[in-house]
Amino acid sequence: MTPEDALLVERVVSAHRERSADGAVKSHPNWHDLDTEGRQAAFDETVRQRTIERGIDPDGQSSTIKAVLARLR
Amino acid sequence: MQAEQDQLARISAGDAAAFGQWASSVESSLRQTLRPFATLCDTEAVLQEALLRVWQVAPRFVHDGRPNALLRFAVTTTRNVALSELRKTNPTPTEMEALHRALDAQGEVQPVSPDPKLRAAIAKCREKLPPQPGQALAKRLEGTGDDHALAAALRMSLNTFLQNVTRARKFLAECLKKAGVDLDLELSP
Repeated sequence: MTPEDALLVERVVSAHRERSADGAVKSHPNWHDLDTEGRQAAFDETVRQRTIERGIDPDGQSSTIKAVLARLR
Repeated sequence: MQAEQDQLARISAGDAAAFGQWASSVESSLRQTLRPFATLCDTEAVLQEALLRVWQVAPRFVHDGRPNALLRFAVTTTRNVALSELRKTNPTPTEMEALHRALDAQGEVQPVSPDPKLRAAIAKCREKLPPQPGQALAKRLEGTGDDHALAAALRMSLNTFLQNVTRARKFLAECLKKAGVDLDLELSP
């Protein structure tokens, strides 16, 4: 994987997602820039990242859960 | 079962904290059900959308008397959101067949209890993180800002911020391995 691809993967690992006009959670724009290897890497790294996040957060919440809860308010 | 029904009652009544607690306990199980979709659609977006739909339906959700009722409903919702995303890309019949085979092979999904030993090991390794990767990792955990904003808040360029997040994760994975915790084994379905 090139350094550029690694940066794209890291961007996709983020839990930040925009919403569409109808309120649905949109795909990360950089996800579409990744090839098959990059998409698989993004999935695997996200799994690792969220496990670490749950282990660090006092309430055991990953950035995914924080992002979802932020949309409830 | 009573604890599960009490939790469901709180969620149905609009208790966001109870929902957060439940969602944290099922997040990794739900994400694993999305593994067959990993190269086909953005599973992070799918998972967030599915959890939001579960929250919206929760006030009308009726427990069927079997364990993990809301989780089983969430698995179905998650798969449906993923399949809906996938249909937008006009998948071939062969791709769909392979996907359904992979989904059929998945066993019953269970919630995952927090592992205090893993938590303690992560905390210990985190103390050893170099400052910049440590700051980047902490910022990412906030979850609500986009990377440009998070990087700017740390006075880092976007690429430096991203490289620091990657470095932090690799550092922690290596440190955990030395402590006898293989993160990849912890994550296997």
